[in-house]
Amino acid sequence: MSAFRYLIIKEMKQFNSNRFMPVVLVLLPVVLMLFVPLLANMEIRNVRLTIVDHDRSGTSARLVDRISRSDYFRSAGTCDTYSRAMDMMGMGRTDIIMEIPAGMEKRTGRGEQVEIFIAANAVNSTKGSIGGGYLSSIVSDFSAELAADSGTMSAMPLKVTPRFRYNPHLDYKLFMVPAMMIVVIILIGGFFATMSIVTEKETGTIEQINVSPVRKRDFIFSKVVFYGFLGIIAFTLAFLIGHFVYGLAPHGGLPELYVGAILFLIFMAGFGLLISNYSDTLLQSVFLMLFFVLIFMLMSGIFTPVSSMETWAQYLTWFLPTTYFVNILRAVCLKGSQFQDLTFNYVMLAVFAILINIVAIVTYKKQR
Amino acid sequence: MQGYNVIEVEHLTKKFGSFTAVDDISFEVIRGEIFGFLGANGAGKTTAMKMLTGLSFPTSGKGMVAGYDIWTQSELIKKNIGYMSQKFALYSDLTVRDNIEIFGGIYGMERHDVRRRAVELMDRLGFMTEKNERVKDLPQGWKQKLAFLVSIIHNPEIVFLDEPTGGVDPAARRQFWELIYDVVDSGITAFVTTHYMDEAEYCNRISMMVDGRIDALDSPSALKKRFGAVSIGEVFDILARGAKRSE
Repeated sequence: MSAFRYLIIKEMKQFNSNRFMPVVLVLLPVVLMLFVPLLANMEIRNVRLTIVDHDRSGTSARLVDRISRSDYFRSAGTCDTYSRAMDMMGMGRTDIIMEIPAGMEKRTGRGEQVEIFIAANAVNSTKGSIGGGYLSSIVSDFSAELAADSGTMSAMPLKVTPRFRYNPHLDYKLFMVPAMMIVVIILIGGFFATMSIVTEKETGTIEQINVSPVRKRDFIFSKVVFYGFLGIIAFTLAFLIGHFVYGLAPHGGLPELYVGAILFLIFMAGFGLLISNYSDTLLQSVFLMLFFVLIFMLMSGIFTPVSSMETWAQYLTWFLPTTYFVNILRAVCLKGSQFQDLTFNYVMLAVFAILINIVAIVTYKKQR
Repeated sequence: MQGYNVIEVEHLTKKFGSFTAVDDISFEVIRGEIFGFLGANGAGKTTAMKMLTGLSFPTSGKGMVAGYDIWTQSELIKKNIGYMSQKFALYSDLTVRDNIEIFGGIYGMERHDVRRRAVELMDRLGFMTEKNERVKDLPQGWKQKLAFLVSIIHNPEIVFLDEPTGGVDPAARRQFWELIYDVVDSGITAFVTTHYMDEAEYCNRISMMVDGRIDALDSPSALKKRFGAVSIGEVFDILARGAKRSE
């Protein structure tokens, strides 16, 4: 029997005798997948709105009523003047101010244009811009209605009705869930592998391995294979939650997902081992790992779209394997893409996985 | 003397930057003996041993271990030697039996050979009742016995023991040496570093390392005669007086 088999048996027995790891393996995907997408989302609700109504007419009352019926806004009271409303915003008691000019009802009745002023607090830029966007779309709907009522159709000659494909309700959860699946793999496949090697360094067991005739590629592969296997278990759990709780991947595409996940896991494990080759203590390795993982996660379009990055930074994303994996995950889960649609992404992911493992083996020194 | 020597070292040197840890040492170890490698802390014992066990490369010099060249055949050397580190280096989260079986397997032994040898060795050390206990729960003296056992599981030609009795009480130390004698009787050569001078008396031959050099090498009785000392400890004091490296 080969040494490799015994190394795998060793990993399994160590994992079994550990009280902490098996719990983390299950808890991590469950918590990340069940709670994070539900709680941390970009949907804006409960935007506090202050209305400065100079018109005080039936029409302005209808507009205010229309806004308050939407889930997005919560009234933060009314003010007589704009400057008083600004004071409220300055004190952080309101997010958006809407000022209705005097004489709105009369002028709209005559078919004239009326400007409604909206001021949004953009300290939280998402809340400001999305809240402002919601509000202006409600107002323009309302004005279209007014125009239709009065028969002056000319007020709204063009109307855009977007249909959002693949995520019809622009649900941020559907964007977030594949991201969480990647985080699960990074944490289990990458961190676990690094930690296990550095622990062997710290406890000195690696020395006992290094004086044995074990080939270094056997030692490295035993880690990649074992932690890759754990990663697949965690990914499967995450996928099951994604499918049954969030209705992800309705078109299937399991082979596409798993090939992507396996390639990415091989990359992550190899990357973790590379890190461990250059760190002597657990603390060092975890910090190094965290540094790179943050770049992987924040720069590769997992949470924010690559297309909105600076051009030079977009080129940078070509060098992050997470970019290719997130492309695959989103395309398969949301659009039902297949291998032939994503060939480039698979090839790049495979190239990264192979390269990093070669580097990890070369830089692992049994002898110094 | 060729066939009798399991280790032959000529002008072996290891430098770390400007610091010379091992300074031009030459010696042989004869098959079947207990070779004591003595020296103060920092004299270069562990560094020298690491070069012989294939954990590090020398800066210069030649060396043959178990018939293989330390420069080019370190993986072959590793098949034929056992090594017990100064620091306990078994998997303490695994059981006694798992450790024995896994290391046996790593050395390429057949499964049934590993099982048989594991039972044989555990029986010899009286570990049978503790075989399913986790290693970290064993007392220190037992851990060291187990580490020794694991280092000879594959019946190596030479076993390197780096301060094997550190932190162990005198009675357990004596037992440990009985074990070493046992193993040497079965044909394995033992290369032992220690700084317990009384233990040096148990060795067939000893070398004394001072400041990276071997200042004396002979049987304990010959050394005592040469330096006119009553004990090896006294011989060591005479030699160490000239030492420049402090601890």
